[in-house]
Amino acid sequence: MFFHIVLERNMQLHPRHFGRDLRDKLVAKLMKDVEGTCSGRHGFVVAITGIESVGKGLIRDGTGFVTFPVKYQCVVFRPFKGEISEAVVTMVNKMGFFAEAGPVQIFVSNHLIPDDMEFQSGDIPNYTTSDGSVKIQKDSEVRLKIIGTRVDATEIFCIGTIKDDFLGVISDPGATS
Amino acid sequence: MAEKGEKGFSLSNGGKSSLKSPASFKGKDDSTAKSKRGRKVQFDAEEAKISMSSKSGGKVDKPVARGDWGKGGKGDKIANGGEVPVVKAPPPLELKIEHELPENAKCLMDCEAAEILQGIQEQMVILSEDPAIKIPISFDRGLQYAKRGSHYISPHPVRRVLDALKLHNVSDGEVSMIANVGPESVEEVFALVPSLKD
Repeated sequence: MFFHIVLERNMQLHPRHFGRDLRDKLVAKLMKDVEGTCSGRHGFVVAITGIESVGKGLIRDGTGFVTFPVKYQCVVFRPFKGEISEAVVTMVNKMGFFAEAGPVQIFVSNHLIPDDMEFQSGDIPNYTTSDGSVKIQKDSEVRLKIIGTRVDATEIFCIGTIKDDFLGVISDPGATS
Repeated sequence: MAEKGEKGFSLSNGGKSSLKSPASFKGKDDSTAKSKRGRKVQFDAEEAKISMSSKSGGKVDKPVARGDWGKGGKGDKIANGGEVPVVKAPPPLELKIEHELPENAKCLMDCEAAEILQGIQEQMVILSEDPAIKIPISFDRGLQYAKRGSHYISPHPVRRVLDALKLHNVSDGEVSMIANVGPESVEEVFALVPSLKD
């Protein structure tokens, strides 16, 4: 789920950047340092939308660096347990399938796939119902519920399920429109 | 198999369960109950429900303890003395955002996020001419996800309509999730957002 949030960060700037473009350089450095990063509390910082305030700089003793407290607004993406998400399948194997929802990877174990769907190996591995009416394969869109999350240094990984009501395949890449 | 459980416990069902017998359970302090929660044991379907609810602090132990666990060698149904243990289904997983994000966080619908990110992308086209500036992968993926997930032409009327739900104590996260899901029936809403049933 996307959120619009205000975060604060202390930015260190080298004296060579001081001058009339100091604020622009501070913002550019902020964008470079923050955009694309991931934290457990806020999730992925997708984009910075604005700068709320730049505090007074403090000169660090012993070096010429100056630390500026910067408050900025940004769009973050963070998955939550219990959230319903629409993801695109990226890989299918006998243990389950992997899907992507934005920058987040989600794994759905075969234990959390409805029992009437079975794994079919082959050139295009997939899960198919016994009557062949529903198929989950690469590039299928599925609606799933997130039941667990794990945060690494650079990414968030989730576990999902499609075993509840109103969950499952939304669209099949092989189906004609 | 008897050693599977704590000291003083007896396994009366031929190893089917490692639940405590009533005699040994009485008088045990909390430390035993706490260590019980950390153990992984194999149960059949009925006992699995009991073990799941026992993680909540041993509340189910009392009704189970009334059964004939001490007699030994009997199946689950018989050992209970004909009593059906009170088994509560685990509560459905609910969305709880407020506790984990700061108060100033505003939950965005996918269509709103798509609008914001689209505007930023147009500015980024100019910035991307500078080789020192790299557009992060998460931005592209986030924008693609937001565009694909949004079912609406304009987010503003959607926000106006769904904000009316806040008068009925529906949280921001739930409102956004309803908008993102695009439900076709009331049953679908209650199935996907179980917290609304309260």
